[in-house]
Amino acid sequence: MKLKRRDVLKLGLASTAAVALDMNFFHLIKKAAASVTMDTEKVVRSTCSPNCTGTCGFNAHVSNGRIDTLIQSADYPEKEYNPRGCLRGLSTMNLIYSKDRLKHPLIRTGPRGSGKFKRATWDEALDYAAKKIKDITQKYGSNAVALTVQVPGTGYVQKGAFVRLAALNKWSIHHGYDQNGDLPMFWPMTFGVQTEELESLEWINSRYTMVFGSNLYQTRLPDAKQLTEMKKNGKLVVFDPDYCSTSAKADEWVALKPDTDAAMGLGLAQVIIAKKLYDKAFLQDFTDFPTLVRKDTGKRLLAEDVESLTAKAANTEIPSERRLYAIHTPQGLAILDPTSLKPTGADLQGEFTVTLVGGRKIRVRTVMTELMDLLAEYTPDKVAKICQVPAEQIERVATEAATLKPLHVIYGASNYQWYHGDLKGRALSLLPVLTGNLGKSSAGISTYAGQYRIRFSLKDWWAPEGGELNWVPYLAFLAGKGINYPKHGIKAMIGGWGNPFDQHNMADILRKRATSGELEFICTFDFQMTTSCQWSDVVFPAASWYENYDLTATILHPYVQLQQPAIDKLFESKTAIWVTRQLAKRLEPGQEKHFYPDLDENAAAEEVTKLLLAKGHPETEGITWEMLKKGPVRLHSDVPGDRQVPFYNQIQHRVPFPPPSYPTPLKETAKFLKSGRIEFYKDEDLFLKLGEQLPVHKETFVDTEYKLYPPSREKYPLHFVTKNSLYRVHSTHANNVWLNELQGNRPKVFLNPEDAVNRGIEDGEMTEIFNHRGKTTASAVLDPGCRKGTVFFEQGWWARYLDNQSYNSLTYPWINPLHEIYFVPGIWSPTSVWNECLVDVRRVQS
Amino acid sequence: MRKAQKVTLTVTGLMMLAGLIAYVYQYKEGLIVTNMANSYSWGLYVSGLAFFVGNAAGGLVLSSLIYLFGVKSLKPFAKLGALAAFANVTAAMLSILPDIGQPLRLLNMALHPQFMSPLVWDVAVLNLYAMLSLIYLYILMLPELKGPLARIAIKVDDPEAFSEKWAKRLAPFSLLAAIGIHVITAWIFSTQGAREWWNTAILAPDFVAVAMASGTAVVFMASIFAYGAREEYQPAYRIMALIMAIATFVHIFFMYNDFFIHIWYGNRESLDVLAITLKRYAVTHAFEVLAPLIAVILLLNKKVRQSAFAVVACCTLLVLGVFTHRYLLMPAAFERVPLTLHPLGIQNGEWSAPIASGRYSPHGDTFVTQWDYFPSGIEFAVFLGGVAFVCFLLIVAIRILPIIKEAK
Amino acid sequence: MRRGMVIDLENCIGCRSCAVACKSHNAQPAGTWWNRVLTPGSEYHGVPPEAGVEYFLPIHCQHCENAPCEKVCPVGATYTSKDGEVLVDYERCIGCRYCMAACPYGVRQFNWQDPKKSMDQYQYSADYYPGNPKDFRLKGRLVYTLKRPRGIVEKCNFCVQYKAQGLDPACVRACPGKARFVGDLDDPQSEVSRMIRRRNGFNLLPHKGTKPTVYYLPPSRKEL
Repeated sequence: MKLKRRDVLKLGLASTAAVALDMNFFHLIKKAAASVTMDTEKVVRSTCSPNCTGTCGFNAHVSNGRIDTLIQSADYPEKEYNPRGCLRGLSTMNLIYSKDRLKHPLIRTGPRGSGKFKRATWDEALDYAAKKIKDITQKYGSNAVALTVQVPGTGYVQKGAFVRLAALNKWSIHHGYDQNGDLPMFWPMTFGVQTEELESLEWINSRYTMVFGSNLYQTRLPDAKQLTEMKKNGKLVVFDPDYCSTSAKADEWVALKPDTDAAMGLGLAQVIIAKKLYDKAFLQDFTDFPTLVRKDTGKRLLAEDVESLTAKAANTEIPSERRLYAIHTPQGLAILDPTSLKPTGADLQGEFTVTLVGGRKIRVRTVMTELMDLLAEYTPDKVAKICQVPAEQIERVATEAATLKPLHVIYGASNYQWYHGDLKGRALSLLPVLTGNLGKSSAGISTYAGQYRIRFSLKDWWAPEGGELNWVPYLAFLAGKGINYPKHGIKAMIGGWGNPFDQHNMADILRKRATSGELEFICTFDFQMTTSCQWSDVVFPAASWYENYDLTATILHPYVQLQQPAIDKLFESKTAIWVTRQLAKRLEPGQEKHFYPDLDENAAAEEVTKLLLAKGHPETEGITWEMLKKGPVRLHSDVPGDRQVPFYNQIQHRVPFPPPSYPTPLKETAKFLKSGRIEFYKDEDLFLKLGEQLPVHKETFVDTEYKLYPPSREKYPLHFVTKNSLYRVHSTHANNVWLNELQGNRPKVFLNPEDAVNRGIEDGEMTEIFNHRGKTTASAVLDPGCRKGTVFFEQGWWARYLDNQSYNSLTYPWINPLHEIYFVPGIWSPTSVWNECLVDVRRVQS
Repeated sequence: MRKAQKVTLTVTGLMMLAGLIAYVYQYKEGLIVTNMANSYSWGLYVSGLAFFVGNAAGGLVLSSLIYLFGVKSLKPFAKLGALAAFANVTAAMLSILPDIGQPLRLLNMALHPQFMSPLVWDVAVLNLYAMLSLIYLYILMLPELKGPLARIAIKVDDPEAFSEKWAKRLAPFSLLAAIGIHVITAWIFSTQGAREWWNTAILAPDFVAVAMASGTAVVFMASIFAYGAREEYQPAYRIMALIMAIATFVHIFFMYNDFFIHIWYGNRESLDVLAITLKRYAVTHAFEVLAPLIAVILLLNKKVRQSAFAVVACCTLLVLGVFTHRYLLMPAAFERVPLTLHPLGIQNGEWSAPIASGRYSPHGDTFVTQWDYFPSGIEFAVFLGGVAFVCFLLIVAIRILPIIKEAK
Repeated sequence: MRRGMVIDLENCIGCRSCAVACKSHNAQPAGTWWNRVLTPGSEYHGVPPEAGVEYFLPIHCQHCENAPCEKVCPVGATYTSKDGEVLVDYERCIGCRYCMAACPYGVRQFNWQDPKKSMDQYQYSADYYPGNPKDFRLKGRLVYTLKRPRGIVEKCNFCVQYKAQGLDPACVRACPGKARFVGDLDDPQSEVSRMIRRRNGFNLLPHKGTKPTVYYLPPSRKEL
C-alpha cells in the first residue's frame, strides 16, 4: 500500500492525538488504496438519441467501465448552439443501469402481457423467432410480417439494419412518422414535401415569430435559447388555447379556442390581403394563385382544354407527374410552365371567360380570387367569434406579421394532430407565403415534430439489391384494411426502438389483437422492459446509444453525428446489426452476407457509416469517419454557409417546387404539386367533394366523434389532449427514477379549476378519465392555465404506472380519407390524430 | 417504600435498556429511523434537550436561594435540588447525543470549536453545570459522608462549617449558571433569523421562567417522594408552589406578549407561523398553557399541598405541560419551510419553496413544503430512556448517598 | 475575488436540467436534491399560479457572505473558502443539523442513512453508482466525495472540484437555456457584475442580511 508522505504525516498526527474516536485516519488509508487501483477516467463523446429531435452531443465520463457522469459536449461550431442537452440526456444512466434494463434474451412463458418470461440464450431466442417468422411467412405470405423501427433519424446504421432485413425478406413495414401522427399532411399538400424547417440558429434573426400549438420551451428544450435571443430584437407571439410554459415566455399570447387555427390563419390572411400587405411578385411566381379555377367543375383549368392553348400544350414536353395549367396575363391566356419559375407577369386576380376546346364557354377565376371570395367569411369580426379572440388583436397581429420581416411561423404537432389538422396547416401557410417570407434566412414556416429526417441518400444500406418493402400505414394495420394491407392481414409484429403497446394502442386495439391471438407473433428489440416488451413473445436485449456506433441526424440542425461506445454492451445486449445478421442467417441461408458477417459489431457499424458517408453526396461530401469521431459535422446544403433554410433553391434560384424529400424519388412527391408551385388550391376529386379545395375552418368532432358515436356530444364534453411531458421523450424515461421524483412519482391529469369544481374533484384526488372506448386514472391537478373544456394528460406513462391501464385506450385511429388519395410512406399517408378525442372525468371513489 | 422503589428501578431500568437498544439500532441504520426529514430537521431529541435543561436549571436555582436569599426552609431540599440538577443536565446531554449524526466525531468540538456557535457555548456550559452541580452536591453532602462513604470525603476539620461556607460561596455561581444554561440554550434557537418562531428576544427570558417552573416542580415531586407532604415542610412547599406559580404566570405573559405584537402588526408570514401553533396545534397549545396554569393555581391552595398525591399529580401536570411547550418549539419552526417569497406579478401572493425531503417516496412527493412530524417509536424509546434515566439516577443516588435527611 | 453566480430568469426555461446535472454529478441519494427549480406561486412545477403569470426559479445554496450556517456550526465544518464559496468539510461534520435550522433558504440536505443504502432504493442494476468518483480536497479539507457518510450534512459546493479543473459548475455547463453565469463579483467589469447592474439583479430574502453571492435577474416583459 503506497502512502504519500503527506498521508504518513497525517497518520502520525492523528495517532498521536490519540484520536481513538476520530475515524479519519481509517478513511485516509482506504482512500489511498483506492486511488492506486482506480482506472484512469476516459471521456467519450456520443449523441443522445431518443426520438426528441434534439440529437445533442454528450460526453460520457467513464471509469471502471462505468459511465460516472454525463455532461453536454457543447462542441458545436456555432456558439449559439451550445450547450445542447437536457435533463433527460443528463440522466440517461438511469436507463442504462435501470432495474428495467433488459439483460438477456427472453421467451414468453405466461399469457401475453403478464410479463412472465424465461431467460433464453441468444441462439434459442433467435431460433424461436426465425421459426415463427418462417411459419407465418409460409402460411400467410411474407407481408404478413410487419416491422416498425420508429423514425429513422435517430439511427441510420442500426435502424437501417432492420429495414435492410425487412427488405430482403419482403416484409411489410410501418413508417414511424405517420404512426406517431407527426406527419403534418399540409406539407405535402401545400409544398409537396415531407416536412421542412429552419435550423434553430435561424430563429434568432426573425423579427416576428408566431408559434401555433408548440410548447417549444418544453419540447425543443435545447433550442429554446434561440427564441430567447430572438426576443431581444423581435416579437414572439404564441397562439395556444392554454397557458403553457411557451405562452408564459411570449411577448403576446393569443388564447384562441382549440382547433380553430384554420379560421385564425384565414382571418389573418384576410387582413393581410385586405390591407394589400402581400408580396405580389412572390405570389405570381411561386404559388398557384394565378392558376385558373373552372366555375363549372371546380377543377383547375388545364391548358390542353383551352381552345387557344391546346395545340401548344400538345407540343410541350413535361414530366408525367406535372400538368400544364392555364393562366391569364395582360396579354391573354397563357400556359404556366411547371418546369420553370421564371416571372410570368400573370394576373393574380380576376374572373374571365374561356373558350374550351369544342367551343363551350366557361367562367374561370384565379385561385387568388377564389381565396378572396372565401375570405369574406373570415373577416376579423367573424373570426373573433369562431376563435374567441378579440377582432382588434387579429387585425393588429396580422399587420405586424406582414410588416415585421423576416416572419417565422412555428407549427407544432399539438396543433395539427386533429382530424382537420391539414386544413389548419394549409391556412397558416398563407402567412409566410402571402408575405413572401420563404426561402430566405430566418423566414418561413417550420414544423419540428419527430426525428424522421433522412438527410442524404441511405439506399446503399437501406435498400439492398433484390429487396422489397411493403409499406403499410400503421393506421391501416389498426383498421384491418386499407392501403397495401396484406391479403391475410398482419400476423407478426417485429419492432425496435418503439413502444406501441403504450403509445399506439388506440382504442385498445393492439392489446385486444394480442390477447385474442390474432397477432400470432410479437418480437421486440429494446433496452428497457417496456409494456411492449411485456406483451412480446420474444424479447431481444438491445445496446444503448452509449454502447454502439451509429449515425444520427435531426431536423433542428444539419449536423451529422456519431454515437460511440463509451462502455461495453451491458449484460448480453447486442446491437441491431448483429441481431439482424443472426436472424438473416436463420431466415435464409446466405442472407447474412448482407450484414458484414466477417466483422464484429462495432467494425461492421463503422463500415456501414463509411459507406453511407461515401454514398451520401453531395450532402456528405468531404465528411469522414475521423471527423465524426471528434465531433459534429455540418452537412452540405445549397444555402450559403451550408445553412438549413428550406426552399432556398426554389426562391433564390427559381427551381420548381418541390425540393426532394429523401429517400423518395422526386417524381413520387412532385406529383403533389403538378403546377410546380406552392399550391393552396387542391382540385383532386375528394378535396372538391369535401369542400376542402381551399383551406376552410371546419367544426371539431362533427366528422369524427359525433358521427361515430352521437351520444359523445352530451356524455363526453371534454377534449382529451395528450401533451408531451418535460420529463419524458414519449415513453422513454417513464421509468427514470430521478425524473419521477421531480414529478411527485405519479401520473397526473390537468383540469381547468372550474371543470374540476363542477365535478367535485379536488386537487390531488385520484381521477378517472373515461369514454366509451377506454379509461385511465391519474392524480388531478387544478391548472389555471388549462382552458375550460380541455383535459391534459402527459403522454408516455407505461401501463404499470397507470394500474395497468392503457391511456391510449381512450383515443381512436381516425383516418382522414384525403390522406389516402395518394400513398407515399411517411409523406402522403394516413396519420394518427391524438387530440381528436372526447372524454369526461370523475373522481375515483376510494 | 422499598418495594415501590424496587419496582420503579426495574421499570426505569428496562426503559433505559429499551432506549439503549433503540439507540444502537438508530446508530446502525442512521437517523432515517426517526420521522424527521430535511424540511423538519430537529424533533423530539432537541425538544428533549430544552426540556431537560429547563428542569436542570430549576434545581440549582432552588438550592442557591437558600444561601443567597436565606430561605432556610428550603434547606432539606438543597441536595435534592443539586441532584435533580445533575440528573437532568446529564439527561439533557444524553437526549441530544442521539441527535448527532456522527457521534464518534464529537471530539471535533474539543479539537475545532467554532466560537461563534451557540451550540459550542451550550455544550461548554452544560458540562460546566454538570460539574458544578456535582461539586455542589458533594459539598452539601460532605458533613454526612460517614461510614463507607467516608472514603470519598475530603478531610476537613469542621465539615459542617466547610460545607456551609463553600455552599454559600458557590451559590451565586450556581444561580448564574442555572440561569445561564437556559439562556444559552435559548440562544441556540433565538439567534436564528431563519426561524421566525424562535427569533424573538423574549425566548431567553421565557426559557428561564419555564425553567423555574418545571425545575422547581421536579424538585417538589422528588421532595414529596422523599419526605412526604409533612406539615414541617409545608413552608418550603409553599415557597416552591409560589415560585412555580409566579414563574408560570410570567412565562404565559412573555409568550402572549410576543404573540400579541405579531398578531397586531399582521405580517402575513408571522401570522402563518403563529397559526401553526395556535390553529393547527390548537389543542396541544391549549394543553401547554392550561396544564401548568391549572397545576400552579391548584398548588397555591394549602389543602392541595397537604396531599402528596395531589402535589405529585399537579407537578406531573405542569411538567407534562412544559414538555408539550418544548415540543411545540419545533412545529411552528419547521412545519413551514423557511423560504417564502412573494412571486413576481401576482397580487397578494405568498408562496413557500418546497425542499427535497431526503427520503425515498416512490408514490408521493419528494419536494415538500410541509412535513407532518410526529416522533417515531425509536425516538420515543430513546427519549423515554432519558426520562427513565433521571428517575433511575435519583432513586439510586437517594439510596446510596446521604441526599435525604431520614431514610424511609 | 468573490466568486458569485448570476441566474437570468428571462433565460431560465424551467427545464430542471441543472437540478438533474447536479444530482447526477454529485451522486445525491434517493430524495436528496441540492438544486431545485420551481414555479413561484404554484404548487406544481410548470403549472402557472394563475393564467397569465409564470416564471421559474432555481434555488440552491446562496453561498452567503454572512452565512448563518457557518456561524452556527459547532466544529467549523461549514466554512467559507478564500474565494467565497461556502463549503462543508465532510470529514469534520458531526451531523448536529444546526446549519439546517439556520439556513433561511432550506438548501441543506442531510444523510439520514448510509448513502449506498439510500441509493439502493433506486434499484440500479449491475451494482451501479452514479457520480464523479474522485475525492477533492481544498487545502486538505474534503469538500467533495462520492459517498458522503451517513449522519452528515451536504449541499451545493459551487463545484469547487470542477473549478480546480478550470471548468464551470455542472449546473452552468448543463443549462440549455444559458441562464447561469459565474464570475468575480469584486470585479465591477466582470460579466456578472455588469449583468447585475444592467438588469436589476436581486437577491432572495435580502432583509435576512445573509448577503448571498447568488444574484437573480428578473424576467422581462415587453409592452404591447
